[in-house]
Amino acid sequence: MILSRVADGLYWMGRYLERAENTTRLLLVTEELSTEVLGLDEGLARGEWTDLRIVFPGFPDGEPPFRHLAGLASASLLGLSIDPANRYSVFYSLKKARDNARSVREALSLEVFINLNETYRELESYNRRQLGDPATFRSALGSTHRGIMSTVGAIEHTLTRDAGWLFLKLGESLERVFRTAVILRTKLPALVSDEPTVDLPLFYSQWRSLLRGLSCLENYRKVFGARLEPIDVLQFLLFDAETPRSVRYGATTVKEHLDRISSASELSQPARIVGKLAAELSYQGHDLIRDGQILPFLDHVLNELGRAHDALSTVYFGT
Amino acid sequence: MKWVSPKSGFDEVFDPRGQPRSHYATLISILESFTKEDVERRERLQQLTLRNQGITFTVYGEKDGLERIFPFDFVPRIIPAAEWKTLQDGLVQRITTLNLFLADIYQEQKCLKDGIVPAELILTRKEYKRELLGMVPPRKIFTHVVGTDIIRNDRGEYLVLEDNCRVPSGVSYVLENRNLLSRVFPEFFGSYPVRPIKDYPTLLLETLRFVAPRRGQNPVVVILSPGIHNSAYFEHSFLAREMGVPLVEGRDLLVEGNHLFMRRTHGKRQVDVIYRRTDDDFLDPLAFRRDSMLGVPGLLNVYREGNVALANAPGAGVADDKSVYAFMPQLIRYYLGEDALLPQVSTYLGFKKDDFKYMSEHLDQLVVKTTGDAGGYGMLMGPFASAKERETYLAGMKKNPGNYIAQPLVELSTHPTHIEGKFEPRRVDLRPFILYGDRIRVLPGGLTRVALRPGSYVVNSSQGGGSKDTWVLAPREP
Repeated sequence: MILSRVADGLYWMGRYLERAENTTRLLLVTEELSTEVLGLDEGLARGEWTDLRIVFPGFPDGEPPFRHLAGLASASLLGLSIDPANRYSVFYSLKKARDNARSVREALSLEVFINLNETYRELESYNRRQLGDPATFRSALGSTHRGIMSTVGAIEHTLTRDAGWLFLKLGESLERVFRTAVILRTKLPALVSDEPTVDLPLFYSQWRSLLRGLSCLENYRKVFGARLEPIDVLQFLLFDAETPRSVRYGATTVKEHLDRISSASELSQPARIVGKLAAELSYQGHDLIRDGQILPFLDHVLNELGRAHDALSTVYFGT
Repeated sequence: MKWVSPKSGFDEVFDPRGQPRSHYATLISILESFTKEDVERRERLQQLTLRNQGITFTVYGEKDGLERIFPFDFVPRIIPAAEWKTLQDGLVQRITTLNLFLADIYQEQKCLKDGIVPAELILTRKEYKRELLGMVPPRKIFTHVVGTDIIRNDRGEYLVLEDNCRVPSGVSYVLENRNLLSRVFPEFFGSYPVRPIKDYPTLLLETLRFVAPRRGQNPVVVILSPGIHNSAYFEHSFLAREMGVPLVEGRDLLVEGNHLFMRRTHGKRQVDVIYRRTDDDFLDPLAFRRDSMLGVPGLLNVYREGNVALANAPGAGVADDKSVYAFMPQLIRYYLGEDALLPQVSTYLGFKKDDFKYMSEHLDQLVVKTTGDAGGYGMLMGPFASAKERETYLAGMKKNPGNYIAQPLVELSTHPTHIEGKFEPRRVDLRPFILYGDRIRVLPGGLTRVALRPGSYVVNSSQGGGSKDTWVLAPREP
């Protein structure tokens, strides 16, 4: 068993590292889709950036409205990549992950710290003007993404599977399932409306982009083939038992970590909250889609994950 | 390769005729076999390693506690076996004395009664903790870890400049410098019998376990750090990793029923030994500084009850007070009946009327320091200060004369240091580390700090200093 403060630090390191990865990936995917559809449907491109700002709500209040798409795109892109004041920027998340790692460095391996530190230092070396250039932006963020992946690899391959590791993975899995749920909650209202609001090819581009934004496109194809049926995509992203970014898989993973952290005799409060949620996701899938209850259900998921976070802070971190 | 010779001071590497001293000859010829480009490439690699591994220290007073890389110079400092033997014997003699002195002033106060050191000098120091009078720490050890600063005068003699009996830092850089140099310039090591230092963390842990109050159990040892914003945080975390012990902050600890525990995710666990890297004043807000948020309320009581060991012991700081330093030769004779093996710098005490008068009149020839400070803070380099600076400083001295000491400026030795493509002389000192547990051990190495600014005498990392790998050579087989 470990110090409460160290558990807290590892949990947040896991959350911020996962968040940095999510933001990086979604920025790259959004930028690509926006470039692809820009000449065909500017409204759609604008919608992609606006959605991204809802998923990662770190922009300052009272930001002036953007009259031109280019302004919106560039402000979003820079804001979410290197703006140190934006609480959801990749830079901010990496800095927080690193700060937490530094404060619990004795609980990590040298490999984990070095990979994380290098990734942070490299992104730090870019400035706004450099990242304003699309090619530089893609290469910088691509490199950040690889850096995060090698940090995750170092975590996987070098850390002892003790309580510290469990708290790190708990932070990672909770952040992951939470962000998937937020993304689906943001994107689905437009996507599942009865009438597609855009041309069919663009409509499919959006679904494809949603899958890619959640690292699920190839995984989806393995199960359902190349054809993108909205109902299948929904089924897959919400209820698939094997793809690591589905809501069901995420909730189950959080539950497993919490069960292992709980003492053997009795489940803790957070383990009970997430255990119930994982059961609902395992047994109610089809009914919810058929009854059109997906959006309220996603609200329920987000609410329960928030409760689980609060409960585990009380039980384990003493905060 | 261009070697610039120093204008003054003892040259560690070259003799007065410009020939390398025998223990440096091989190193110089290896260095001269490199091209300028080779050296620059290796130096870039070295910078990158320091940056990526996060080997840093934190500078106070800059925004948000800025993390800086501790500059490293790759030209190692070499100490021959015979010279080291002298140093080692002198250091053992000194730490033995310091410990006897502390045991004395917190018990019978014989050295005060016998007039070896003026009683009022000791009893008025803020580092003297009268709350601990009569308290015998576990195994009667006060100073478990000491770092002693050594310099060389213009004849090359080793002199003790000061003892650090509170929380001496720098040992992590000693170990990291060796790692780094052996990776970046492996060629250097083949021809020298360099004594290894890697087992320091093991020895430190043994030292700490030796003082655990609960005998016969597997004692729980922790490192207590003020936290991530402390300038030596890297070292605290480094030692915790190397020893495999928890790194704790005050808020992780709690006192219950006169025992000390750490707060864990699943219940608490008793702590036996604290290697504390915080000053006395921040250990326990109930005992020392009431305004401190850092300490553990009740810790001192647990210590007094003998239920936890603190290394170094609270109150040990009085032994490295710069005015106590002046009495070290007498104290060594008093406790051990021996002459001091290592000479030291003559010291004027503001505490003495005559000395203070001399200090006030000769400020332009003296280095003046405040007795309680460390890290190069609060000192005046008389010979280099302007008349106005000296005047302002003197005004401060007059308010509290006992708080100041003065020493003649000692010409520090210089060592070639790679600066922008050339090897230039820079002033160096040496901080060996000494552990006091079941016996006294001196780490065969130390932190060689180097004043990187040309002409500077100040080697402190907070004031633009860097460091070098320090090699102690094993005696050659006969």
